[in-house]
Order: sequence, then structure tokens, then C-alpha cells
Amino acid sequence: MGSPLTKWEGAAEYFTYADRPMVLYVILGISIALTVLAIIKVGNHEKESYEKLK
Amino acid sequence: MEPTLAELAAKVATLEASGAMKGTIDTEVYYFWATALMVLIHAGFLGYEMGASRAKNVLASGIKNILAFAFIIPTFFFFGWWIYLGFPNGFMPTADGDPGLPWAMAMGPNLSDNATGVFWAAFTLFAATTASIFSGAVIERIKMSGFVILAILLGSAVWILGAAWGWHPTGWLLTDWGYHDFGCAGIVHLIAGAFALGVLINLGPRIGKYNADGTANDLSPHNVPLILIGLMLIIVGFFGFLAACVIMVNGAQWTNIYGQPMTLSSIGFNTLMAFGGGIIGAWAFTRDPFWMMSGGLAGIISAAAGLDFWYPPLAFVIGFAGGATISYVNDFVVKVMKLDDAVGAIAVHGWCGFLGVIVVGLFASGYPNVGEYPPVTFMGQLVGALVCLALGFAPGFVVSYFLKVVRLLRVPDEAQIIGLDLAEVPLRAYPEGESVASRGGAALQPAE
Repeated sequence: MGSPLTKWEGAAEYFTYADRPMVLYVILGISIALTVLAIIKVGNHEKESYEKLK
Repeated sequence: MEPTLAELAAKVATLEASGAMKGTIDTEVYYFWATALMVLIHAGFLGYEMGASRAKNVLASGIKNILAFAFIIPTFFFFGWWIYLGFPNGFMPTADGDPGLPWAMAMGPNLSDNATGVFWAAFTLFAATTASIFSGAVIERIKMSGFVILAILLGSAVWILGAAWGWHPTGWLLTDWGYHDFGCAGIVHLIAGAFALGVLINLGPRIGKYNADGTANDLSPHNVPLILIGLMLIIVGFFGFLAACVIMVNGAQWTNIYGQPMTLSSIGFNTLMAFGGGIIGAWAFTRDPFWMMSGGLAGIISAAAGLDFWYPPLAFVIGFAGGATISYVNDFVVKVMKLDDAVGAIAVHGWCGFLGVIVVGLFASGYPNVGEYPPVTFMGQLVGALVCLALGFAPGFVVSYFLKVVRLLRVPDEAQIIGLDLAEVPLRAYPEGESVASRGGAALQPAE
């Protein structure tokens, strides 16, 4: 499903979904979202930790 | 039977193609292993920052360091490489950045492009190194969330913009001013040191650092041997960094990033001489093992901009000067400016980075650039140094100020007092051998 090619002769970009830009954008969006959510989670964890000190 | 001309021509073509492929693979191998060696810089900073922390904060410092590395990697893929390729002229992007967009065909495994992945990887490690430089200065009281945001800003945006300007074959600092900075003294070290300066102004000191009369207290590191080992690992990784600063040209003389011919041999000579000079200079003026080892790093940074062409004893002298001055600069930062730089990052990286750029103007003025670009001049180096200073300081100060306003910069006082490991992680680093933090006489338990 993810292979952008069916044979190796003349192949250039061979990463998964290289031939399906919309899928690339979705995967990129997911990775950006995960990064941002992780930063938010770090902040939330800190906030909860500091609340317990009060 | 004698081969025909056609057969001979076919053999020559095959040999040429094979030679070209070998050169391509050699390039990949070279930058791949240089990148692997650079990971030791992070092992080193991990030891260095954990050792410099007090025991109650050691794990929080380690986590912070590792998270900076981890977050730099995807963000440098999302936009850092695009910035490097696309901003050589200033603040407006050019179409040259398009191959660095995260959906571009070069930004993934590609049989017609053996180079982008290893170059991206090497630059990502440069980026993570830059963020690590900043991270030591702010240990023991910065919020993890605010720190991660600042590390991403510095590592995946600010320094790489500086690199597009001054560590790039067509960057404007080179084309307009003849700027020369082989080993990124200004582009990495001065920018990171200046960024740390901007953040420290807003972050404030650790509790207990300063007395009411303004005098500074020594908040001793809990593990000096770990600091020394950490700094040695950084030096090993630095060799990978400097190797990756050389441009491998297949079948011809290698060059630096500006296209000027150079040899790997020059790095062999000058890195070691600067390292030795830095350690000796720092030891001679401090007798302190922390500063002695920092001096080794300071020595290399002070000579970094011209490692490709120094006479080796000159690299030694420059390194000696860097090592000899860092403790005095740090005293000025801590005691006069009243900024609590926990590891001397402003002195070692900011000051030595500045020194490194300026000495090229002092000792290598007139050194030719390729093509029509101006030669190296003192004024060009001074302009480059001031640009790096401003580029590092401004976003560090402004963004940290904003984080301070929204309460994402500094941990609460009560967390600092009991220690970030208990307050945040929560884990004890030394469950059997530490002095236990307590409040009101009762030993504290980790938060759930």
C-alpha cells in the first residue's frame, strides 16, 4: 500500500507514499501534532506537579 | 582478439560510472559517521549538566538535556533545513529553500539523492549542539515546557538562520563581507551564548545564589568527576563536528563551506593544539579542574573560525588566550552583571565564540575568498560577530520575556527548594546515598 514503486529500474524517491502527496501531508500533520501535543503535555505535567506542592 | 574501440569506450564509461558511485558512497559514509560521533557531544553535555547540578535536581537536568535533543530532531525536519537552504539573503525566503520543505522529494530516501539525508543529519546534530550549549546555563530553575520551546527556537530556527547567512556558500555575510567562520565559532557558539544571555536576564537566579547585599554564593556541583568526563566526551564529539564542517569533494581537493581549499590534516593539527592551549591556559590561571576542562572546550572554540588555516602554534596561543580568560569573563557575568550562569556558558561559548570570529580578522586579514567575494577583513569579521550577537540575544530575550509573562519560564520557589527531581520527575536519582530533602524535619516523598 505504501510503496511508491512497483519495480526498481529507474527509481528515484522510494520512501513510503512518495507518490501520494496528500498522504504525505497527513503523516506530516500527525507528526507535527504529536510534537506540539507533547510540549503541551510537558506543561500540564509541570502544572499538576507544582499544584501538589501548595 | 583485440578489443574494439566501442568495447573500450564502454569499459571506460563503466569505470567512470563506478568511480562516480564510489565517490557518492564515500561522501555518505563520511558524513554518516561524523554524525554518529557528534552524538557523543550530547552524551557529554548530559554528564556535564547532570554533574553541575545539585543532587536534588540531577534527573531534571538530564531529562531537559535529552528532551532538547529529541525535540530538535523533528522540528529541524519540519522547518530547520528549509530555513538553511532558503534564507541566504536575510529574512525573506527564496525558492532555494523548496528542496528543504518537509514534503519535498529530497526529504526522504531517494536513489537519485544520496546526500541530503546525511547533510540534514549532520546539521541536525549541529542544531542540537547549539541548544545543548544554552541548556546548561539555565539548569535548576527553568520550566521544562518553556525550556523546550526556547531550545526549539534556538536550535531549529535562530542558529540555522545565522548559518544561512554566514555558514553557507552564498550567504550574505560571505558575499558582502567575506565572513570566515570555518568551525562555527560565531554561528553556533556566539549565537548560543548570546541567546543564553537574553534568557538569563528574564529567568533570574537560582534561590540562594545571591545574598541581599548582592554577593554571589557558590552552589557547588554535586559531581565534579562526571563534569570532567562529560567535557572529555564533548571533545570527542567535537572532532565529528569539525569533520562535518569540511566539504568532501570527490576526486579533488576538499574545501570548507565557503569553497576555499583545505585539508582534514589542518583540523588534525589545529584542533589538538587549540585544545591543549585552552586546558593549559585555564589551569594556569585557575587551578580549578572545572575551569581546566572547560578551558579545553574554550580553546577549540576560540580557534574554531580559523582551524582550516592557522599555523598550529598560533592555534595553541589563541586556545591559551581563550582558556585563560573564561573564568574572568564568568566572574564578570556572575558577580557584576548578576546573572546566574550555572555552567559558564556565556564565558565559554559566547565570549570565546566572539573571540574566535575576531581573531580571524586580526591574524588572517586578506585571506582570499573564491570567485568575486571580498577577502577576509577585520571589519567583515566584526560585522559577522555583531550580527551573531544580535541574532542570538534578541529572540532569546524577547521570547523568554513572553514566556515569563505567561508563567512558562521559571519553576515555583517551593519546587526549587525541595528539588526538581522530587517535585517534577518524580524520582530519586540516588535513593541509597543522597542527603534527603525535607520540609519541617520530615523526609519528603515523591509526588504521585
